[in-house]
Amino acid sequence: MKSLPVADPGTPDLRSANRYLLWVARMQSRTVAAAVASGIIWMVAQALMPAFIGKAIDEGVAQQNTGRLWFWSLMLLLAGLTQAVAGVVRHRFSVTMWLDAAFRSIQLLGRTAGRLGAALPKRVATGEVVSVGANDMAQIGNSVDALGRAAGAVVSFLVVAVILLASSTTLGLVVLIGLPLLLIAIGPLLKPLQQRNMRARELQGELNNLASDIVSGLRVLRGIGGEEVFHRRYAAESQRVRAAGVQVARLQSVLDALQILLPGIFVVFVVWLGARFAAAGQLSPGELVAFYGYAAFLVIPLRTATEFANKVIRARVATARLIRILSLEPDFAEPVTPAAEPGGRTLVDAASGFVARPGEMTALVSDDSGETVRLADRLGRFAPGDVTLDGVALAELPMAVVRRRVLVSDTAATLFSGVLRDELDIRDDTTDEELMAVIRTASADDVLVGLPEGLSADVEERGRSFSGGQRQRLVLARALVADPDVLVLVDPTSAVDAHTEARIAERLRDARAGRTTVVVTGSPLLLDRVDKVAFLSGGRVVAEGTHRELLATVDGYRRTVTRGEEAE
Amino acid sequence: MRQILPVADTRDVRRYARRMARTYPRDFAGALGLHVLAAVSGLVAPRLIGGLVEDVQLGTTTSHIDTVAAVIAAFLVAQTVLTRYARYLSYRLGEKVLADLREDFVRNALALPVGTVERAGTGDLLTRTSRDVEALGWSVRFAVPETIIAVITAAFTVVASLLVGVWVLVPLLLGVPVLAVGTRWYLARAKAGYLRENAAYAQINATLAESVDGARTIDALGIGDRRRARLDADVHESYLAERYTLFLRTVWFPTVEMGYLVPTVATLLFGGWLYSTGYASLGAVTAATLYVQQLIDPVDRLISWLDELQVGGAALARLIGVAQVPDDREVSGRQPVHDEIRASDVRFSYLDGRDVLHGVDLELVPGERLAMVGPSGAGKSTLGRLLAGIHPPRRGAVTVGEVGLTELPLDELRGHVALVTQEHHVFVGTIRDNLALAVDTAADDGALRAALEAVDAWEWVAALPDALETKVGSGGMHLTAAQSQQLALARLVLADPHTLVLDEATSLIDPRAARHLERSMGAVLDGRTVIAIAHRLQTAHDADRVAVVEDGVVSEIGSHDELVAARGSYAALWESWHGDGVRPGAG
Repeated sequence: MKSLPVADPGTPDLRSANRYLLWVARMQSRTVAAAVASGIIWMVAQALMPAFIGKAIDEGVAQQNTGRLWFWSLMLLLAGLTQAVAGVVRHRFSVTMWLDAAFRSIQLLGRTAGRLGAALPKRVATGEVVSVGANDMAQIGNSVDALGRAAGAVVSFLVVAVILLASSTTLGLVVLIGLPLLLIAIGPLLKPLQQRNMRARELQGELNNLASDIVSGLRVLRGIGGEEVFHRRYAAESQRVRAAGVQVARLQSVLDALQILLPGIFVVFVVWLGARFAAAGQLSPGELVAFYGYAAFLVIPLRTATEFANKVIRARVATARLIRILSLEPDFAEPVTPAAEPGGRTLVDAASGFVARPGEMTALVSDDSGETVRLADRLGRFAPGDVTLDGVALAELPMAVVRRRVLVSDTAATLFSGVLRDELDIRDDTTDEELMAVIRTASADDVLVGLPEGLSADVEERGRSFSGGQRQRLVLARALVADPDVLVLVDPTSAVDAHTEARIAERLRDARAGRTTVVVTGSPLLLDRVDKVAFLSGGRVVAEGTHRELLATVDGYRRTVTRGEEAE
Repeated sequence: MRQILPVADTRDVRRYARRMARTYPRDFAGALGLHVLAAVSGLVAPRLIGGLVEDVQLGTTTSHIDTVAAVIAAFLVAQTVLTRYARYLSYRLGEKVLADLREDFVRNALALPVGTVERAGTGDLLTRTSRDVEALGWSVRFAVPETIIAVITAAFTVVASLLVGVWVLVPLLLGVPVLAVGTRWYLARAKAGYLRENAAYAQINATLAESVDGARTIDALGIGDRRRARLDADVHESYLAERYTLFLRTVWFPTVEMGYLVPTVATLLFGGWLYSTGYASLGAVTAATLYVQQLIDPVDRLISWLDELQVGGAALARLIGVAQVPDDREVSGRQPVHDEIRASDVRFSYLDGRDVLHGVDLELVPGERLAMVGPSGAGKSTLGRLLAGIHPPRRGAVTVGEVGLTELPLDELRGHVALVTQEHHVFVGTIRDNLALAVDTAADDGALRAALEAVDAWEWVAALPDALETKVGSGGMHLTAAQSQQLALARLVLADPHTLVLDEATSLIDPRAARHLERSMGAVLDGRTVIAIAHRLQTAHDADRVAVVEDGVVSEIGSHDELVAARGSYAALWESWHGDGVRPGAG
């Protein structure tokens, strides 16, 4: 059994759900072949068992021939053993296929998330992605998993048909024509069932979304109350899911009953014909038993075929959802002919006239709340804009280069779960001493004091075990570890106390010496310690200078910087 | 590994399942009865065919054959109709039970102590709400009814075969030890194996959720490769877990097959010998062989569903495990005699033996504005949460009108005190849904509008295409941090508590928006007791009293002027805030 996951999940065919499923099967064609082969042996061995029982009754029991009875009983035992061995081999291959298909889909999802980057949460809800991981990948796996059995079903059907044809043309024809007819008879029921299933799944998805929402919002909810109201809403949705489930059950139960009736009719018909032939001396009693056995056995391929159809239907619904996510495109296309990477560190935004120079720490202040944030987005190419790095437009550079050279760390930046050391050392080559130095710069030493395991401590999801101020300083430390040529910090100290803010302001300058640093902030403490402040009004830089110069000379700046303080 | 939410043990799962089965006795009995009748109708055919074989051997008429075939057909139709209704009833019952289960689960999840959720991480809880609910759905919808049907069918098939001849018991019993030993071996290991599988999938989900939530950060830092490697590692763990259960089945499946094969072969040999001695008829041997063969199907289904039942049982164990988290609130029914909130000798620890608060005493004066300042990590937020009744103190008491905050039912508590933190979350649903969380009864549009106007949010809400009915939250319209926080504040206006704890409520919002928001807050704060945790010292300057929290105790308390005059740590802090910068408020 091969080890999973594969290193590279490959490039899927996203043109339709069917093509995707075929691609998944093609990617593991050898396993599929092995599963099909063992599936066939497994089911054909089963198909032969009624013949051996019939022979045993005819030649052994009825003739009272102990030798023949033993012989056919041993044959039966042999068929049974073959079935058992082939069965478990088939199961192993099927599980491998299931895992390969499901894991490959998950890996593709993970890679798509990486490719989309910041565009991902704008296009798709977290619940939708989790639902792929929780359910859809299993549905996709189920469809390929059933392949081996489905192949066995088809071949064993043919084997039985041949045996029947050899003993009686009429009976053989009844099986050969009758059974496919039965399959077709079930067909019309499958489509409405599929539709109702889809509806039920959609509702279930929404319900899951609502439940996931509780988990994410539980802390907020607890602060303001509303648990009861929320639960009532959930219960109402849950009852809608139930009603949709009952709609599915109405059809599903008919389908279940038909699975008894249709093959049953077939069995009765075969037995009836067989008994008449036997009465006329054309068939032995043992053959009659064997015929009954075949007819009863054929229920299994029939059921397998229906099951396979059902699984493919479910998998197609699941695949459609997966494909929707996999087909999403990032906000910006990579440049067709990328420009050569510039060496300089001067970042210029044409729209506002803002220039960030190497070796300088510049602060951005605007009288319009959103303007500086939008500018920061443009500088880091999270939003379109005419921004150049050393004269080269960011749009002309490969995204990976832009990200490496310019880092925007905004207020929404999150910590990830894992070992603190790894979560800070995003370059994978930083020593503990270097990390400790950066942590000191970000004034996050006290965070470590509270952790008995120090840098080896576990960070919880989104760094939840830390306070807002602690998280903010760790995020700052992480940005400093990245050590980009241009670092844009949006409100890096909004959640820390005055003492700490002052310390960070001092240390940040030294740590960023020789590089380009832009700080979006409204804090006088920080503004007073940067090299230069750029004041934006109406989307343009209208004044530049030190904090004190601007305070003394620019009315709009003074109003902007002091307004917030007065308002509280 | 982080502490994970509890998982219920087998006994609790059984007790819960029994209780569920008894919730709808009529549906349960109805479905069961129909399944029994359906199974019995299905057992007529082999008996009649056995008779037919004998009749054919002894010579019979065509009309007799026709009659027998017609009888078999009649029972087939009966079995079909009975099955349809039996299945429908059990599916419907399954849906009912499932709805009850998930609603129960969500109720319990909503009652979880916040500290527990924080420690467990959301991945575990997310998997429980999606994958486990789904797995259980599969079990309740299919595995449980199928198992019941299989048991009924198998039991009646055994009875029917014994009616043919008691001697059938001998070959049947030969299969039992093989099946029993193999299955016991398997089941003893399977549950742990499937629990590990579930945990592995939980980790995959947690990683995915984190990658979506933190997509921008991942993009900005260029750590996409690292997230991919993390996901691949999670997938690999999942693979290892799957491979273990596959090993279990590789041993178990062939054993089971032997268990079926032995009785069939034995029936033939034993029956053949009995026929030769004249003890059994050819019809009896035939019918017995057919019954033993027919028994394979229900037994096999039973055994294979046991597997699924275990998966469902494991999921159920995880779902009802949530209810086993000890409640950190105990409703006493006592009523507060006044609106004063008081903390006395409060000690609190998140981890055993590591107190973050060391005996805090604080008395709030109704209507006052109290600012809480102090270095990061000194315990300000923790004290704020205790004052809002989120956690009970480890020692000491936090009371409103002499009743402990955690003794009050949650909805009542929120009429007294509410907490707004820097964390903002927009709930999935409409803006109306988001606001309505704060009020128990459906609020009329007028009240909602007034609340939104009070926080300066009505203008943008009214400008949305669907106004109050606009879908927001994950998958809906994206709201800015400031807008989300405005909704939170509007909710407060509707909830109307007399005391508010604001924990850096505006600190993670971009500064200009924050100022706007702070202005909107005036309307919310008016006439209420407010505890504002802040690092902007201006807040402290404007407050009636300032409490300095250092190292888990209130080290100084008094008005701004008193504290500055006292020349303690607050005075030093104030000095550093404006000493070499701009004197705020003086401009």
